[in-house]
Amino acid sequence: MNPAIVTTLKASAYIGLTLLASPLLEGVIRKIKAFIQSRKGPPVSQPYLDLAKLLVKEDLSSTPSLVARLAPPAAFASVLAASLFVPYGVAAPAARAGDLFLFIYLITFSSTCVMAGGLSHSSPFSHIGSSREMMMLITIEAVILISLLIVGVSGHTALLSSLVGTSFRFSFVLGLICYLFAMQAMLGKLPFDIPEAEQEIMGGPFVEYSGPSLALFKWTFYMKQLFFGSLFFNLFVGWPHFAGWGWIGSVVSFAINFLAVLILGLFVVLIDATNPRLRIDQSLRFFAGLIGVALLGMGLAAFGL
Amino acid sequence: MTESSRILQDIRSHLGDSALECSELHASAVMVTVAPGDLPDASAFLDKTLDARFVISAGTDFRRAGKGFRVDHFFSQDRCKTWVVLRAYTSAEDPKVGSITPRVPAAGWAEREFQDLLGIKAEGHPDPRRLVLADDWPEGIHPLRRDVPYNIRPEPANNVAQPMAVPKGNVVVVPIGPFFPVLEEPAFLKVFVEGEEVVGLDYRGFFNHRGIEKLGDSKLTYNEIPFLAERICGICGFVHSTSYVQAVENAAGTDVPLRAKYIRSIVLELERIHSHLLWLGIAGHILGFDTVLMQTWRMREPLMWLMEKITGNRKTYGMNVVGGVRRDIPKESHSEILETVGKIEREWLKVISAVIDDTPLLMRLSKVGVFTPQDARDLGSVGPTARGSRQPIDTRIDHPYAAYDRIEVRGIWKDSCDVAARTLVRLEETLESIREVKQLLAEMPERPIHVEFTEAIPPGLEGISAVEAPRGEVIHYVLTGEDARPYRWRVRAPTYANLQALGVSLKGMSIADLPITLGSMDPCFSCTERVQVVDVRSRSVRIITGRELSDMARRRWDRAGRSRR
Repeated sequence: MNPAIVTTLKASAYIGLTLLASPLLEGVIRKIKAFIQSRKGPPVSQPYLDLAKLLVKEDLSSTPSLVARLAPPAAFASVLAASLFVPYGVAAPAARAGDLFLFIYLITFSSTCVMAGGLSHSSPFSHIGSSREMMMLITIEAVILISLLIVGVSGHTALLSSLVGTSFRFSFVLGLICYLFAMQAMLGKLPFDIPEAEQEIMGGPFVEYSGPSLALFKWTFYMKQLFFGSLFFNLFVGWPHFAGWGWIGSVVSFAINFLAVLILGLFVVLIDATNPRLRIDQSLRFFAGLIGVALLGMGLAAFGL
Repeated sequence: MTESSRILQDIRSHLGDSALECSELHASAVMVTVAPGDLPDASAFLDKTLDARFVISAGTDFRRAGKGFRVDHFFSQDRCKTWVVLRAYTSAEDPKVGSITPRVPAAGWAEREFQDLLGIKAEGHPDPRRLVLADDWPEGIHPLRRDVPYNIRPEPANNVAQPMAVPKGNVVVVPIGPFFPVLEEPAFLKVFVEGEEVVGLDYRGFFNHRGIEKLGDSKLTYNEIPFLAERICGICGFVHSTSYVQAVENAAGTDVPLRAKYIRSIVLELERIHSHLLWLGIAGHILGFDTVLMQTWRMREPLMWLMEKITGNRKTYGMNVVGGVRRDIPKESHSEILETVGKIEREWLKVISAVIDDTPLLMRLSKVGVFTPQDARDLGSVGPTARGSRQPIDTRIDHPYAAYDRIEVRGIWKDSCDVAARTLVRLEETLESIREVKQLLAEMPERPIHVEFTEAIPPGLEGISAVEAPRGEVIHYVLTGEDARPYRWRVRAPTYANLQALGVSLKGMSIADLPITLGSMDPCFSCTERVQVVDVRSRSVRIITGRELSDMARRRWDRAGRSRR
């Protein structure tokens, strides 16, 4: 078969998996949170129902701004594109088309869309939320980039899929700690859900969004959970590959990957459920310190540690 | 010589000729009448020299008796456990008194209120805008005047401007309310923000003013009012009915049986426990810490079931009548009460150590919403809000009522003046309440639980009573009248005092700290809704009417009664 067609098919399957599996992950996470809080919690299928409901609802808008219209699909699309570079236990379909810098650009673009969407409305709550999002992004983006680079320096490449299976070094410990905290913030979980802060600013940048637009934003977040978790396991933890097993190997790898992400989800929820929300200045100070730690890790990695 | 007569002597010697009349209203309450123009000076003397804390004002319409209008300012001398009433009469044609707010800032709202409701002008008030009346309420109708019917409904007006502060310079206006996620009751805070910093704010509330005082002195009788009073608050209603019946008992000189007093104290303390548990949950929720909310409310639920067993109702107990209580707490239910509070105590100790050790939580609570002792005193804060700011005021100690003079009450005060202090006060008070419940149960005297009260009290008697609600001091004042109902009934809820202080503690802080600072005062909210039932299998939706709901409750009560037998 024509390799281009194979790659296209692979990419479509990959995107389909990302789209379909990510709400399930969210459903499980909610169930775990409910368990911690002595609640029964909604069924695991609830995020699918949420998305379905929002997608068929009316898309109310309080502004004629085109930016407000385009922000949700643009954020959604950039995250989908980013997912093509993330190894899910199997090599990503676009493994050789772009490196971790492109990945970071795409993720940043989706956050920028959230911000632009928030700023295009006139609500003071979405403005405060957007400016908080911006401040958070500046710090956590740096932390994520540097911690990924620690692995990159050790593996002598910036291609994410080629970094899978890089042998573990001491500097990875610093890298993975920084990555985990930054991931918590990137996924909008407590104690770092400052840009949304329902109880302070009623959801920040999302306060004016409804219906399909809101669904796209939500789905964007679900997908980020899936591939930030996957990246963690594929880069920082030595990962068994079933490359020689053909398509069965791919399925098994993906399943194991998904389970591993669920376990990481447990950790994320545990922090989420046992912390209050920090203030923006406290969070900025925290991540500024974390940048220092990440840079230290990078220095160690440069010396081969 | 008693404390109150010593205070009277003090007042007489200091005010000299300007004191027109001095007398004792009832045990531990004294009254001094001055000319309306002398109110500011006299109040400054009471506040500064006598160290009496301003609590509330009340205006009364005496035009039918030919005495014009009367204004009363209530002060509390906590050390001497005495109420001081500063009184002035003003003419029916041009009712006005000198405003005491410039001298006693805590009186700001109280004076605006009698200006709204009785049309008595407080001359020299720094902020004479409307407080209670709606912005579209017509000028010249003052609902608490005796000639205005209780059910008056003026035509609503459109396009009425809301006279609220306008921001200066380049600031963003953030509207908190009238409905906001963590403010369950309607209140509007117009907050001016620069970046994340709050630089100013204005408040408009009283959207839900229900005219309860008016109903009390025009429609209901003495023993009907406790049930209305209990509905003033949806969280701590029992403090209102207790405070009201005690005010009537004080006025009439009723001797309440000791067992009734113990039962009141027990129910009050159980109510405080549930309220503080509820508060901690809300505070957690405000900070996004929903696990705290879920767990404290889980702990609280068995207490609600217990209250239903003791009183017949989950929340609005309906236990109080003038002269005693309606239900006994029999010996058989003691073990269940002890078991329930004992379980809460064990879990609560774990909660306390978890909160004290939680660094991120303390980062959000410490040095936030700082409220200096001076502000707390000047603006008349009460309850945990004041006790977190080095104000040793607790009505259970300052004006002992019910059975609190017979048991040991330990006041809990903290020094750090911030949200963390208010939190710790409530955490420790809950344990203290549990201890008090145990002691009260152990020492409970024998029946009866009420004395006969015929509602035939001579008119013109006055009674003041305060109760320490979970949020602070609740005050009820009753002036007896004809037709078995009060001539004037005045209520002061603790949030009334604490909310006024809000502007002071919010300025300069981050917008992120605003909800928790507001929450740390535990503003009182209540809500009632009809119930909607969704049948999952058939997917049909059915609304249950009030009648069906009460039938269901009755059936459930019958079942519970059978299983007990």
